[in-house]
Amino acid sequence: MSLVSGPGRAGTTGLPEELRLVIEPHVKYIQSLDSRRDELEYWLTEHLRLNGLYWGLTALHLLGRPDALPRQETIDFVLSCQSDNGGFGAAPGHDAHLLSTCSAIQILVMVNAIDELEKKGKGEGGGKMGVANYIAALQNRDTGTFAGDEWGEEDTRFLYTGLNGLSLLHLMDLVDVDLAVQYIMSCANFDGGYGVSPGAESHSGQIFACLAALSIAKRLDVVNVDKLGRWLSERQVEAGGLNGRPEKLEDVCYSWWVASSLTMIGKLHWIDGSKLTQFILKCQDPENGGIADRPGDMVDVFHTVFGLAGLSLLGHPDLEEVDATYCMPKRIIERVLG
Amino acid sequence: MASHGVARPAISVVRTDEQLHEEQQRIQEYRDLEELIRAKIAEEQYTVEVLDLTSKLLKENPEYYTIWNVRRRLLIYGLFSKSSDSSSPSKASQNTSPTDTTQTSSIPSSASTSTIPADSNTIQHDPISQTRGKTGTTLDLISADLEFLFPIMMKFPKCYWLWNYRLWLLHQANERLDWQIARGLWTRELVLVGKMLVKDSRNFHGWGYRRTVVAQLESQKLHGSSMVESEFEYTTKVIHGDKGLSNFSAWHRRSKLIPKLLEERQADDPTRRQFLDDEFDLIIAAMYTDSYPYAQSAWFYYQFLMTTLTDPVGHATITPNFTSEERIEFLVRQLEVLKDMLDGAEDCKWIYDALIEYTLCLSRMEERQLQIDEKDDCSQWLTELRKLDTLRSGRWVDLELDLRGNNIPGV
Repeated sequence: MSLVSGPGRAGTTGLPEELRLVIEPHVKYIQSLDSRRDELEYWLTEHLRLNGLYWGLTALHLLGRPDALPRQETIDFVLSCQSDNGGFGAAPGHDAHLLSTCSAIQILVMVNAIDELEKKGKGEGGGKMGVANYIAALQNRDTGTFAGDEWGEEDTRFLYTGLNGLSLLHLMDLVDVDLAVQYIMSCANFDGGYGVSPGAESHSGQIFACLAALSIAKRLDVVNVDKLGRWLSERQVEAGGLNGRPEKLEDVCYSWWVASSLTMIGKLHWIDGSKLTQFILKCQDPENGGIADRPGDMVDVFHTVFGLAGLSLLGHPDLEEVDATYCMPKRIIERVLG
Repeated sequence: MASHGVARPAISVVRTDEQLHEEQQRIQEYRDLEELIRAKIAEEQYTVEVLDLTSKLLKENPEYYTIWNVRRRLLIYGLFSKSSDSSSPSKASQNTSPTDTTQTSSIPSSASTSTIPADSNTIQHDPISQTRGKTGTTLDLISADLEFLFPIMMKFPKCYWLWNYRLWLLHQANERLDWQIARGLWTRELVLVGKMLVKDSRNFHGWGYRRTVVAQLESQKLHGSSMVESEFEYTTKVIHGDKGLSNFSAWHRRSKLIPKLLEERQADDPTRRQFLDDEFDLIIAAMYTDSYPYAQSAWFYYQFLMTTLTDPVGHATITPNFTSEERIEFLVRQLEVLKDMLDGAEDCKWIYDALIEYTLCLSRMEERQLQIDEKDDCSQWLTELRKLDTLRSGRWVDLELDLRGNNIPGV
């Protein structure tokens, strides 16, 4: 990437163009995502639609433009993804899954529309209970972990999304939280990290999921902070970005998984924040908006939100503050959970 | 939506009318196929023809999890019960939740629960006849599906749904087929995952899959026995292979196998002591012969070995009966090894980091304050760390505070 700052621009920001956070192009990029129905890619990614809406909406909130997507359309779309069993699918007609169900709840909380769910929600008990019962039934009552859907795949990601959704609905008492905490502890490795299940290698994405679940359960006391902090801090590479495991390539999405984990254990200062900030900013498409995994690559909404959320954790002045546990605006989490 | 490693074109590409038209056609074909599958399923047409339609769609889009679920339903509500060897409870399970037929199921796999087959001409075969692979047997369906998946997995090795669906199929084999046949399928999986790991030796899914396959092959249900020895050997092979030293996945797996390995060998105390010695030799030799001590994977394994000496949580891993004198003896020896390693690798931050950590450990284990020369060494090592590793300067500030807690003057 070349430095494109010209004499006319340098004076306004004091930073080269590529190291400035562009706000408006990102907003426009996210707004444009649903208007790309003439691209095959749009249809091939339908299985991520609800997650995509959560990523886009969260990014807009962080960019200070929470109203950039039409509210009623958003609510209607989310509710149209609900199955009769109370869970949400990725799009209308898609099977219910915990990942999209959690996104649905997060979106409804962000647009302050849980009351609409209460009125129109499906599932056993209807309303909030309908969704909550769907989630609670996915907990494995022998081990404490969660399945992603009725077919039984288990992964600590699902344990986190389960607790995330239930806590936002104030219905955590439907599941065995202590057993879930014990399960997470059984996933701990000698390096202080956590994997998908007991015995699995530590991975930054799973570490985020496990720490965030422990944070929701108010049990971060079980973490080996020093060891984990050291392992996580070694995720930062010379280019400034973070990787997910030892000796892997850096990637913007780990700016979130690693930096949020470090935040939760109070060690964010163990990495170089300004170098990470520069790395994320270099991954922007400054003209058309959006953030990519690495400089020069194709942008997508997944890396856009996790790049922005990483910048927010690092205290970027142009962004709303993000909550490290929920990856939602802190202001909203404070409103909902007090 | 989440693209990794796809280069962004220098100028945004404008599609020609022809390209636009072509893309619209492809979209139409894709959506028509999707609609057709949904319509057939709504009519409960659980047939091979519909299965083929899902194959066509999934080859284009393996992330479409709902269609994998459609495929599962096609098999359990339709094809398995119609298959000529229908000796399974699949008919009986029609009115139950699909969860009952997944790996958590307690449905017995024996033929004794057999219900009336959908096809009245169907006769039950003994397990041996199933292996002959007649068209339409449950085994044929599962084998064909496993084969269908393989090239897609090679193309999309990081797609969760593929690994997940594959495991589901194999669990179906456990429940519906004789154990010898199911075991045969799982055995082939071990070969397959070996190939996947040759292609990408760090594939997270591959290593996880390997653990599951091994657990199955070891299970009572499949009349298995422990594979700890062969798995441990496998990690040795990977570590000594190309870029093996940097393969944290292999080191990690090794760390998890060791306690079981020693238990099964019924290793006595001298054997365990020798084992720990050998592991230290392995990692130190690897550091000297490969990329020399700059590979962090090796350092995390080194940390694991040291944990068995320094951390009460790790004591039981290799040498549970070590006296504290023996632990200190090993620790002192390792501090010497680390100091020697500095010679010619003065720019390797990992050595300084380890030296400080284990010097502090030693004073704690000997229940004393740091000695003057140790303090001087630590200050000097910390200065080197700060110079060599500026990314983590915040960590070194905290480390300095820790050292001050040990009465080290500011550095």
